[in-house]
Amino acid sequence: MEEDNFSPQQSLLLIDSMINKARNRFSENGFMYLLWGWLIFICAAGHFVLIKLEWFAHPEIIWASTWLAVIYQVVYFSRRKKSEQVKTYSDGIINSIWISFGVCMFILVFILSKYNIWPIMYPLVLMMYGVPTFLSGTVMQFTPLKVGGTVCWVLAIAASFVPSLYVLLLVALAVVVAWIIPGYLLRKKFNAENE
Amino acid sequence: MFKDLDPILHSQLRLAVISLLISVKEAEFTFLREKTNATAGNLSVQINKLKEAGYIDVLKQFHNNYPQTICKISPKGIDAFEVYVKALQSYTHTNGQ
Repeated sequence: MEEDNFSPQQSLLLIDSMINKARNRFSENGFMYLLWGWLIFICAAGHFVLIKLEWFAHPEIIWASTWLAVIYQVVYFSRRKKSEQVKTYSDGIINSIWISFGVCMFILVFILSKYNIWPIMYPLVLMMYGVPTFLSGTVMQFTPLKVGGTVCWVLAIAASFVPSLYVLLLVALAVVVAWIIPGYLLRKKFNAENE
Repeated sequence: MFKDLDPILHSQLRLAVISLLISVKEAEFTFLREKTNATAGNLSVQINKLKEAGYIDVLKQFHNNYPQTICKISPKGIDAFEVYVKALQSYTHTNGQ
C-alpha cells in the first residue's frame, strides 16, 4: 500500500472496504448445530421407539448421551479458540446466548425434577430451543435459524395439545427444522465463503 | 493540504489496520496481513507506530510453539478514528460532496 498521498475520498473508500472485509468474514461452520441437532433427534426418536418397544424400564436413559456431547463441545471450543485468527463481537454475543441457554436448560431440568412436574418438560424445552436459535439467526442475519426458532415456539404450543409420548416426535421435528437444516446450510455457506 | 487529519491514521496501511480492528473484537497479525495484502515487515512497522501512539494494544504470545501477535483497538484508537472520520466528512462536505 502507498503511503500518505491519498485524498479524503480515497480514505473513506479504504475504511469502507476494510470494514466490509472484516464484516463479511463468516466464522460459523454449522458443526455444533449438526452435532446437537442429530444427537437430540436420535435421543428423541430413540426414546419414542424404546417406549413403543418396551425393551427397557427406563428408556429416558438415552438422554444421558447428551453429557458426552457437552464434554466434546468443551474440548472442541477450547481447541478452536486457540486457532482462531480473529474474534468478532458477534461471535462473542452468540457464545453468550448459547451459554445462557445451557445454564437455563440446566436450571429448568433442576426445577422440574424438584417439583416432579415432568409432563410439561417438553413444551418448555421446545420454547427454550427457540430462544438461542432465533437470537443467533438475528445476530448472524441468517433467516433459516430465525425460521427454525419460530417453528420451535409454534411446536411448543402444539406440544401442549399432544399426548406426551408423541411430543418426542415434535422435539425430533423441531431439531430437524431449527438445527439440522440450518446446520447444513451454514456449512454450505461457510465452505463457499472460505474456499 | 490535509493538515487537520491525524498523521498517524492518514496512512493507507495504518488506516486499513485501524478500520479492520474497529470492526472486530481482536485480530491476529496473519488476519491483518491477509486482508491488507501488506508485507509482514511493513505491517509490523505500522502496527508498532499505532501501538506507540496508544491506538492499539498488542499482545504477543505463543500458540503451538509459534509466536502469535494479537491486536486490539484501544479506547484512544476508537476516539482517534471517530475524529479522523469526522474530519474526512468535513473535507468532503466543504468540497460539495
